[in-house]
Amino acid sequence: MTAIIEVKDLVKVYNGNIRAVDGITFDVAEGEVFGFLGPNGAGKTTTISVLTTLLQLTSGECTVCGYDVVKQPTDVRRSIGLVPQELTVDDDLTGRENMMLQATLYGVEPKVAKERIDELLALVKLEEAADRMVKTYSGGMRKRLELSEGLIHRPRVLFLDEPTLGLDIQTRTTMWQHIRDLKKSSNMTVFLTTHYLEEADSLCDRIGIIDMGKIMAMDTPATLKKSLGGDVISIKIPGEVDYTDVIQSTSGVLSVKKEDSSYRVKVINGETATAPLLQEISKKGGAVTYVSLERPNMDQVFLEYTGRSLRDAEQSGGFDKLAASRQMRRSR
Amino acid sequence: MMLRETYALFIRELKHWYRAKVQIFMMLIQPIVWLGLFGQAFPIKLPPVALNGAPDYMSYMSVGMLAVTALFTCMFAGMSVVWDRRFGFLNKLRAAPISRGSIPVSRVMAAMVRAVISALLVLLIALLFAHIPGLQGLTVTADFGILNALGILLILMLLATAFAAIFVAISLTIKTQETLFAVINLLNLPLMFASAALFPITGMPDWLQAVAKVNPLTLAVDGMRQLLFAGSEGIYPIGVDILGLLAFSLVLVSLGIVVAMRALKEK
Repeated sequence: MTAIIEVKDLVKVYNGNIRAVDGITFDVAEGEVFGFLGPNGAGKTTTISVLTTLLQLTSGECTVCGYDVVKQPTDVRRSIGLVPQELTVDDDLTGRENMMLQATLYGVEPKVAKERIDELLALVKLEEAADRMVKTYSGGMRKRLELSEGLIHRPRVLFLDEPTLGLDIQTRTTMWQHIRDLKKSSNMTVFLTTHYLEEADSLCDRIGIIDMGKIMAMDTPATLKKSLGGDVISIKIPGEVDYTDVIQSTSGVLSVKKEDSSYRVKVINGETATAPLLQEISKKGGAVTYVSLERPNMDQVFLEYTGRSLRDAEQSGGFDKLAASRQMRRSR
Repeated sequence: MMLRETYALFIRELKHWYRAKVQIFMMLIQPIVWLGLFGQAFPIKLPPVALNGAPDYMSYMSVGMLAVTALFTCMFAGMSVVWDRRFGFLNKLRAAPISRGSIPVSRVMAAMVRAVISALLVLLIALLFAHIPGLQGLTVTADFGILNALGILLILMLLATAFAAIFVAISLTIKTQETLFAVINLLNLPLMFASAALFPITGMPDWLQAVAKVNPLTLAVDGMRQLLFAGSEGIYPIGVDILGLLAFSLVLVSLGIVVAMRALKEK
């Protein structure tokens, strides 16, 4: 696989003293969905801003689609799509007009644009609202419009900065589905940032955990979770028979701990491991009366790799940076 | 290539304008109040020779109102820039593969169109006032032909382009609405009063006269009065008015380009 984004020793210092990004190095392969996971102020948006040519880097080297972000910004801009954190769709235009404007700005021929707009509006289920003013849209609809705007010129790399921030759970799930559909239907590379573990887990091929401007860990979600000890399935099987061996020999199981008639089973992926596990037990005559699934949360992953909990990070160390990043956003 | 994106952004600006009906109404209500109250109530009785050839004071200040309307419209052209920064739209444009110049140029063009249309509406209202019993309005005494009309259009366009260019550029360096309002308030009244827009400059003290004589608003109203009133003795010959405005708008547009390009560069 060839790297479509290459970042080497990237440093970004704001106002001479705030090191928002502190020497990070990583590659993203073509066709990959890569996610940056970290608390607010970790340096995620700063990295995206540098890669999308909105921000001048302090030192280091970045290329996107083979173009240097400093020396060939226009080539970079032409090959990427950006869905920013803020809702930037125009309230006083209709959804379709917003799309058409975006198409023109990206040099898509009007004839091609018209077809693509219909296609994309259908993809994000906005056909019916297409000719309504965006000011009548809900937050979720705006975000979906924003996503489809980022796709109008069929970019090779799509940048999604906190794609589901502030959305309700239903809308978040829909957004995830759209992103998954995209991945399936095209070989587009997606770079996203998030501070939701579930999001990174369900969408990304690979995750980089970032905190205080440094990458603390980078791997597939499965491996990261495995290194944390994976998911925990708790089951209860009343009776005298010990099922420890049966459970242990089921595929995907990492370890078992028995306490009276309760078992704590560590598995790589709880969602896929639960059903086979229950089948194995019932094959051996066990009657399961209770099942629950615990998954490692953001706090645990974060704690594991940064040595502090996410809440602490947002309150203490990360706080100044959070304030700084807000200030930056305002002053940009 | 630049033309396409500039045109697209220009149309966006105009759509915002004509869809915000309240905004157009507010924009026009101000000159109507000026014409209807200030102009009617002000007991200036001066002979046409002191009024640039205008038959009465109302006719004189109506012309001033055209220029002031254009000025005020252009001052608020920066508003959309500040909003777009606030809502991240400006960043979206900066991330797009477009010529950066299209961002200010489209806004200056749109402001110019808005200013000229607003000024022409004020002209119509002023002409209408002259026909309403009990009110005074603009009475044209010149032999008014197509050249006069084109002259007025040209003057308004030059004036509007100059002010729009500088205010769009200023607003690109400003982060908040409040600052922009402060800048507008700092400049609008002095520009209006230190000019021949509302009062003949002959009655002003020497220092104010010196300022008024180089104020682009003065050039604009001086030129338009010569096109509207028979026997108008301008402060300058009309050619000087137009060339002066042209020079002024070239300088402000160039300055605007430098300021805008610096403001749009990535930090």
